[in-house]
Amino acid sequence: MASPCATSAPEAALGVLPRSDGSAKYSHAGYTVTASVNGPIEAQRKDENPYEAFVDVIVRPAAGVGGTRERHLESILQSSLSHIILIKNFPRCLIQIVLQIEDTPENDYVNTKLVQASLNFAIMPALFQTAVLALLSAGVPMRATAAATAVAVVPQDGVKKTVVDPSPRDIEIAQSVHVLAFTSHGELLLAESEGDFTVKEWDGIYETAKKTCCHSTPAKDGMEMVLDEEASAGPDMRHFLRSTMESKVAADLYWK
Amino acid sequence: MATLTSAGEQPPAQPSLTFTRPVFAKLSPHPYLLHTLSPSDPSTTPSSRTNGRKPNEARKIQINTSSLSQAHGSALVRTGDTTVICGVRGEILPVAAIPQFRENKNRKYDDAGTLEEKGRKELKEYDLLVPNIELATGCAPQFLPGVPPTTLVQTVSTRVYSLLHSTGLVDVEGLRIWYTHTRGGDGDKMEGVEGEEAHEEEDEELEPEIKAYWVLYIDLLFVSFDGNPFDAAWAAVVAALKDTKLPAARWDPDREMVVCSGKEEQKKKLNVRGLPVASSAAVFLEKEHAEEREGDRHWILLDPDRQEEGLCNEVITMVVDCNGQDGELRIRSIEKQGGTVLGRELIRGFAGVAEERWKEVVAAMQ
Repeated sequence: MASPCATSAPEAALGVLPRSDGSAKYSHAGYTVTASVNGPIEAQRKDENPYEAFVDVIVRPAAGVGGTRERHLESILQSSLSHIILIKNFPRCLIQIVLQIEDTPENDYVNTKLVQASLNFAIMPALFQTAVLALLSAGVPMRATAAATAVAVVPQDGVKKTVVDPSPRDIEIAQSVHVLAFTSHGELLLAESEGDFTVKEWDGIYETAKKTCCHSTPAKDGMEMVLDEEASAGPDMRHFLRSTMESKVAADLYWK
Repeated sequence: MATLTSAGEQPPAQPSLTFTRPVFAKLSPHPYLLHTLSPSDPSTTPSSRTNGRKPNEARKIQINTSSLSQAHGSALVRTGDTTVICGVRGEILPVAAIPQFRENKNRKYDDAGTLEEKGRKELKEYDLLVPNIELATGCAPQFLPGVPPTTLVQTVSTRVYSLLHSTGLVDVEGLRIWYTHTRGGDGDKMEGVEGEEAHEEEDEELEPEIKAYWVLYIDLLFVSFDGNPFDAAWAAVVAALKDTKLPAARWDPDREMVVCSGKEEQKKKLNVRGLPVASSAAVFLEKEHAEEREGDRHWILLDPDRQEEGLCNEVITMVVDCNGQDGELRIRSIEKQGGTVLGRELIRGFAGVAEERWKEVVAAMQ
């Protein structure tokens, strides 16, 4: 089901920060995030691991300093990104990812407090995508790329409606909110859900999220066949990551 | 050496090349756990973990309530060597102290769904639930006292806070302190007669209004820590909230403050909706330092202890509640991160494991 938010296509730019190893800026569904990646660099004594690299993720909110919520987001991203980065190739090293949230959609219905302790589901996909793009930009070896999406089940006129990339208002009235991330091989990397739902409902969410993250347009002889029906299902994140990288490479190699 | 030779007549024993089991477990935990999980002869020795449990066996849970006399509600939860104590204490927050306080005037005319939603918003906006977790109590060697809160503490407290709000466990109505204006100065409440005597305009005045809220401080203290902090912490929160009794409070218009009654029989039990129970598991992979490949074995270890947590990257926590009508399994939260072993099928299957655990924990609560 296409939501009004899904019509706004994601936008991304790579290499926006000149002094870091890799960087990316990504905006979608009202969120804008800039990320920088430095690595592999020397790790601090306490973080050093003789077998693998340490992935350090820092999330900085748009205003104020980070609190417990940012620490939780960091730990989620850290464990997910550690899985897709080939950390075993860089023992005793550090790969540092700094994510600066620049813009979040306003919610007209509540007087938003600056410090909020509860989980923010809607921002997770933006953080995830930006981190992956920045890692690609830095040339950090990875097992696979990954993409995340947020899905909410919103009751509307007595029926439950599945909304991809929900707005803050959607999340407020939603029965359940989910964030799922898939690797480019179609494996489930991250699943965070809260609300009230059944196993069957979660199955439906899984389908929707997988379609958004990596619905494989069957490629035949290098030609991508895009069916009209699928094209209306919202952005395909895997394709988006790929085309962003392609255009960056093409721009960098224009002199050849 | 001198003591050795003097103590026994025989020469000092040759240093053995084999380790005893505990030494082996301590020195290289991963191969040891792998060895016990995949015994050479499965027909005689079943697959078990270092701690003797089967992969899908959780530790027994014990719950004691009302053990703290100063708190309004408390619970002590013990699963294996993880022990956590939770105390709930109510404090009164007058609405005059809340900046930007807005009362929902039309609350009575709303349908049930939006009323509940508004209640949740109230809990969140005025911060009526304040969970706090303390791990630096000497409960495990890795938590040093006197250092800033570790990532683990902050993560667990965010999860508890989020789940408290998303499950709507606490009914906000039990936290409101109402006051109905009385006509004249006789101090009698007019609720009974307002229908017959009061005029339409005065009806407006006789609307009860919220004068204060109870704020619940939910403090969790880990007495000992042996892995799986979230399950124990959440069980303690639920048990303590179910145990909470708040004293009867009313607004005194003359003194312009809330007064509480000290009478035990006037205490009101907090209305707790549902009975969500968390169950966690970790995924143990066959290879420790090599890249995983297709066909590698893995084990899903329910209720991991501290040593197992150190060996696993991928974890899942599922919060379920079967307390609703017709006992249907409702999932309240899923948190899965750190790997790709747990796919759709395994998560679906894990819901059944979580349901079993729900029955165990609920039996322990009663």
